[in-house]
Amino acid sequence: MTNVLRTSKEQCLLTNVALNVRDSASCSGRHLLKSFINAALNREEDVHVLGFEVSEEELKGSPVQRLHFHNAYSDPLGWTDKPTFTVHQFCMEELARLLKQTSHPKPATLVIDSLSWILRHVSPPAVCATLHQLRKGGAVRAIVALLHGDMHQRGTVGSVCHLASSVITVAPGMKGGDAVAKITKRSKSGKVVQDEDIFTINNDLTVVIQSKHSQVGHKQADPEEQEMDPTAHLTFNLRLSNKEREAKEKLALPFVFSKEKKTALLHSSPGSGRILYEPDANDDYDQEDPDDDLDV
Amino acid sequence: MAAPVSTVGKPSAERLPLNTTSFQKKTRTKLISIPGTRPSVQNGQLLVSTGVTSLDYLLGGGLAVGTVLLVEEDRYDSYSRMILKYFLAEGVVCRHELFVASAQDNPDDILQELPAPILDDVAIHKPVEQPRLSCEPQDSLDAMKIAWRYQNLPKVQSALASSSRFGHYYDVSKTMEPEIRQAAKCHRFYLTEHPTQSPPTHSTMLESYSALLKSLQEVINSEGFDVAAPMSKSRNILRIGLPSLGSALWGDDLSCHDNPRNGHALATFFYGLRAMLRSSLAVAVVTVPSHLIQDRALMGNITRLCDNAIALESFKGSERETNPLYKDYHGLLHVRQVPHLNCLASKLPDHKDLAFKLKRKQFTIELCQPVSTIGCQKSKVKLLTVA
Repeated sequence: MTNVLRTSKEQCLLTNVALNVRDSASCSGRHLLKSFINAALNREEDVHVLGFEVSEEELKGSPVQRLHFHNAYSDPLGWTDKPTFTVHQFCMEELARLLKQTSHPKPATLVIDSLSWILRHVSPPAVCATLHQLRKGGAVRAIVALLHGDMHQRGTVGSVCHLASSVITVAPGMKGGDAVAKITKRSKSGKVVQDEDIFTINNDLTVVIQSKHSQVGHKQADPEEQEMDPTAHLTFNLRLSNKEREAKEKLALPFVFSKEKKTALLHSSPGSGRILYEPDANDDYDQEDPDDDLDV
Repeated sequence: MAAPVSTVGKPSAERLPLNTTSFQKKTRTKLISIPGTRPSVQNGQLLVSTGVTSLDYLLGGGLAVGTVLLVEEDRYDSYSRMILKYFLAEGVVCRHELFVASAQDNPDDILQELPAPILDDVAIHKPVEQPRLSCEPQDSLDAMKIAWRYQNLPKVQSALASSSRFGHYYDVSKTMEPEIRQAAKCHRFYLTEHPTQSPPTHSTMLESYSALLKSLQEVINSEGFDVAAPMSKSRNILRIGLPSLGSALWGDDLSCHDNPRNGHALATFFYGLRAMLRSSLAVAVVTVPSHLIQDRALMGNITRLCDNAIALESFKGSERETNPLYKDYHGLLHVRQVPHLNCLASKLPDHKDLAFKLKRKQFTIELCQPVSTIGCQKSKVKLLTVA
């Protein structure tokens, strides 16, 4: 059983990766996001959270030292005089400045909750450009973003997910507490790996993967190919035993010459097979008058 | 035996080896012979190979110089990127010049991932082995048991001379050696290195596209790819590769919104690109993420503005992956547009159900015909296998 969810969590924090968690109204992805944050903190990493949708207390109960929560929840559009973080600050220069404020030597992990909020106020090409620059810049090690798939047009969701190297789509599972995660990972070489897992999140925000999701209705039983083997049910024997094979090799074919004769024929010395002819008197070999013998 | 006919105006080819014919076509036309190109047998257009021999066959022998090939990307951009890499690798092997413009990946990264050519196909001819003499060890006679009279004849050279080879094969599991790659001249355009100012509202084209067109124009003019340039020095072909044009990273919201604000920017770009290519010795392969573009009318516009257009549909992630009909293939290939160059109408391809498969040494495009399955016996009919 592949714990792809766990490995993708670890993987996203190892390499320079952008991870999108895509959820919908029927199943929220915020718990998964919280578990990602938890795992990153347990790995002794710096985590910056841009919180647009929920407040700090709701996302993380007690403040943790390595978690830097940028409060964009109270005043995201800058209506008051002193906003902490507005949506218009989601651009490369501001974010770089924000990330440099912490004195951690290693690059941090950036968690965006949620990207949908930003996409409603900033144009998608600008958001994509910022995400791309963040990835290439090296200021962050990984970006984990939450995206509400049913809030945007298909093209927008597609464009943003196209940029991400891994996309986890959560959907409600069969049973109550379960959720189904469809994971699509794209490696640098262009290889795409897709997986589906059923998981639950415990109270301490660890992810438990239950089993691989098997859709009952969809899967067709692979028809077993029965290749018609023409030599299967015959009344005569087509195979050779070892003795028979040896006898077959030893048999001298009628038109096969011995080795000496073959060599003689192949490497014939000059003059061995020439025909010498000397025309005698009866053979009238006169080119000018071929019908000399005619009595006309 | 007739004496070999000398050619007029054609630069002397390499000395042909012994067994190939010494007959040479007498040409009176001043056809510019550029390495890696050949005239089409149908209409005399100068063709270059796309790097994928099946695709060459589909396009009527190759890609005509001065045209644009539009590849609509598959969902995860794996196979369309592969076609672009084949195209660029073919340019390196044929010693053409390359121009790569990208918004997402650095062009240098794209160039480092080119597949390695399978070089024994393009090897220089080995001299024909002389027939063996009579002082031979006897074991040579055991080579042929039945056709022993033909043993001493030299082997028939079935491969054509390497100078007339069109299209090469590549091994995708290996990347091209840096020595081979650096032998080819390459021009790059990376969008992040060109900071764009706010676009002027009166133009229909985006800043990024205008910058790209300007850069292309500079390269074409300065390196002498313009057809109008003097014919003094030897000519070469410029191969232009534009991956993921029209994606959000180019600043275009065509792939983001259902009703894009500057919906005609990409179409204007293609119009300008094609106009530029018609008067130069250049070929372009452009990939567009058409699965993100929701406005089909705009996509149709863009398709019409390109000469050749194919669309790739990969089975990955779709329900067709488990369909037993398609189990040998990686995806479907749809031909959206065929070129009609210097003629009123073009011959549409007969076969509509084409499927592709990326093997290690070949990208094959085959006819995929659904057949009925009678009981448990399954037979697949491959009517046309293009190598």
